[in-house]
Amino acid sequence: MQGESEPPVPGGPATVPEGLVIPPKPPLPAASATVVEESVVVVDDVVATDEEDEAASASALEALWDDARPDDGVDASVPALAIEGLEKTFGGKVAVAGLDWRIEPGTFAGLVGPNGAGKTTTLSMIAGLLRPDGGTIRIHGVDVVAREREAKRLIGVLPDRLRTFDRLTGRQLLTYAGLLRDLPGDVVEARTASLSRALDLTPALGRVVGDYSAGMTKKIMLAVAMIHAPRVLVLDEPFEALDPASSATILDILRAYTANGGTVVLSSHGMDLIERVCDRVAIMAAGSIIAEGTVDDVRGESSLEERFVEIVGGAGETEGLEWLHTFSG
Amino acid sequence: MVAHVLRLRLALLVAAGRAGARDRARMLAGLVFVVIGVAAAWAGLLRLRGDDDLAVQAVTVTGGAALVLAAVLAPPLVGDDQLDPRRFRPFGFTSRPLAATVLLAGLCSVPMLALLVIAAGVVVLWLLQGAPALAAVAGPLLGVVTVLLLSNLSGAATAKLLRERRSRELTGLFVLAVLIIAVPVGLFAASLDWGATVPAPLAAASSVLSFTPLGAAWALPGYAVTGDPMGWVALAVALVTVAALAVGWFVAVDRILHTPERPLPARARAGMSWFAVLPATAGGAIAARSLLYWTHDRRYGINVLIVPVAAVLAVVPLLIAGVPFELAILAPAVLIALFLGWLPHNDLAYDSTALWLHIASGVRGIADRLGRLVPIALLAVPTFALVLPLTAVLHGHWSVLVPLGGVIASLFLSGLGFSSIASAAAPYAVTRPGDSPFRQPQRTEGSGITAQALVMFASIAVTAPTAWWAWEAITVDGASAAVALLAGLGTGVLVLIGGLAIGSTVFERRGSALMEFAETAA
Repeated sequence: MQGESEPPVPGGPATVPEGLVIPPKPPLPAASATVVEESVVVVDDVVATDEEDEAASASALEALWDDARPDDGVDASVPALAIEGLEKTFGGKVAVAGLDWRIEPGTFAGLVGPNGAGKTTTLSMIAGLLRPDGGTIRIHGVDVVAREREAKRLIGVLPDRLRTFDRLTGRQLLTYAGLLRDLPGDVVEARTASLSRALDLTPALGRVVGDYSAGMTKKIMLAVAMIHAPRVLVLDEPFEALDPASSATILDILRAYTANGGTVVLSSHGMDLIERVCDRVAIMAAGSIIAEGTVDDVRGESSLEERFVEIVGGAGETEGLEWLHTFSG
Repeated sequence: MVAHVLRLRLALLVAAGRAGARDRARMLAGLVFVVIGVAAAWAGLLRLRGDDDLAVQAVTVTGGAALVLAAVLAPPLVGDDQLDPRRFRPFGFTSRPLAATVLLAGLCSVPMLALLVIAAGVVVLWLLQGAPALAAVAGPLLGVVTVLLLSNLSGAATAKLLRERRSRELTGLFVLAVLIIAVPVGLFAASLDWGATVPAPLAAASSVLSFTPLGAAWALPGYAVTGDPMGWVALAVALVTVAALAVGWFVAVDRILHTPERPLPARARAGMSWFAVLPATAGGAIAARSLLYWTHDRRYGINVLIVPVAAVLAVVPLLIAGVPFELAILAPAVLIALFLGWLPHNDLAYDSTALWLHIASGVRGIADRLGRLVPIALLAVPTFALVLPLTAVLHGHWSVLVPLGGVIASLFLSGLGFSSIASAAAPYAVTRPGDSPFRQPQRTEGSGITAQALVMFASIAVTAPTAWWAWEAITVDGASAAVALLAGLGTGVLVLIGGLAIGSTVFERRGSALMEFAETAA
């Protein structure tokens, strides 16, 4: 049957929504050099082509932050995050006990700590997912309890171990996240396009998120966290399950984000990663922060990992296991 | 050009049968269907021969009006018009000859040919009834022209409005809308008392339709026979209708040929499913996501399945207990309303921990509450459109619809209202996403029995007054039927609004508690 339907309009990643076409920028400024250094040795040519791509996508996102951030009357001199005396108890078990933490705007801050130290609980309270039992959290001076919706507008969240609506396709999920944030439809469409290009998700947008690999899921969730151009990104274990190449892409985007005045708060188990990328680091144990400062301050002479084990006190606890060394066979 | 386009039209007709075995079978089946339909129409028309003129008038006018209405509704349902004027754009035709040619070509299609044959039947019938030849021919002819112009205009409007939004979901909605109208009307027509005379409601309908663009043309022969001076009004309406439609068609073709077409943002629209149909707001997005989950997640389907089974099974014990059939048959409709209103009382729990996205985004409670009710509303409206007339037919009196409608509105709407509160205030653990719907969830606290029972009893309790009036109307006398309907609608709407307001506040206040619930239940 001829002429059954009009031929589909051809369109690949090349057709960008109007107003978002940004000329590619020369390779990234100094900040990214530290990461690229290592990978250059292994795959020289790949990095060279990627670099151009990433520079373009990172600058596309920069434009996103610039044009998108509403005139929300935020005072840049106020700390991006100010926590005082934060407390949270779950059925008698203390998860967070009197935590204080201040982060200036534009900071790349890391939160490390042993399992069960209360990192996820703390980040959940910052994100407004859990209500503190005591103490205050202010995002750019906005109290997250008293001015809840206002504060939530300033924050983008990537939670760890929470489900997502994984029966939606990538594009549907990003649209959903954007519309939930009350963004207009055309803005959502344009940002979906530029975020997925920056995160290299475009080919997967039509697939159901439930079929994504762990790394792809992290990336789409990062896009979900960023779609409303927040001032503070709260990321719980963003690099878990990510391959080094994807980690590098995300790091570049996050660096561009902080360079433009955005603030990143992330938790991680990977000490060397935190050591490499964060401006400031806080070590958390038993519900409060026990060491905080620039990475150099905190680690002192040794590496961050050694310092962490030393502070938290992991070594020297193998007593009582002598029977293990006297094999019974 | 005219001969060329007509030849193209014929070639398309023939080609439809050549495409392949399946298309050929489909076309043959369609053809058989059309032939049977036309034959039945002729048989029905000729059976009316010699009947009272008013009876013939009532049947031909309502039938003709139905055909005109079908001309409006068909293009959005069928879609793709092969002789769409925009397809001729590259050839540089002048607009007026093209508009006329496309109209003429449109006459050479199977549905229009069938319509011509039926219209010829109407002409023959009226000639046998003794109508003047001019009126007998002019009326149905004007009717055919109206149908032709309307279907073309409707096709052009469909192409313009739905080009960007056409999707399976939207077509489904159209079919649903047509069913919601057609099923009750069909059941009503079938239940009418077709004795020697035309049923009074039909006669009343036809006399109204005679003065609307839908039925005016078809009413002309009848007025000519009876010599009713109102016939001149019908003639004026019919002529103005055709003239206005013709002007509209020529203007439309002219504009189609002279406005450049925006390229489709097909890439972005594709695969958006309900998101492309519903408004781009938080509430619209939640509705779209809920609809996707209702249709894709088996956990929702299982809940819905229980409703008809329970409703039908409930009749059996009533009949055994000796309740008269015409009263027992009212039970399923009432139970379905109760269950449908009760269904969303735990909808939030089905999100599991994915709920964080709503809470972190600071979604307004009302957007969340309303959006989640959209699937159940979309399910309930056609269900009631089907169940209510069916109940009336089985019960025996259409008047039962008024009090029964009150009870159903009250149960369903107040159920939705109470559910909106319960799902935010007292969610309970359900099977996790991806698990078998039959698997028992691991409960950490409470089984949810309280919330389930409370929603159900609360909606029964607020319906009690309405039910009493309805019972009065059905068993004693019909005087309180209107009271029952108004009371039911009033109760339902009030409880729904109140429930949405309270549910929204609860949802916004309890965000943290809901997250803790989701994390412990998951």
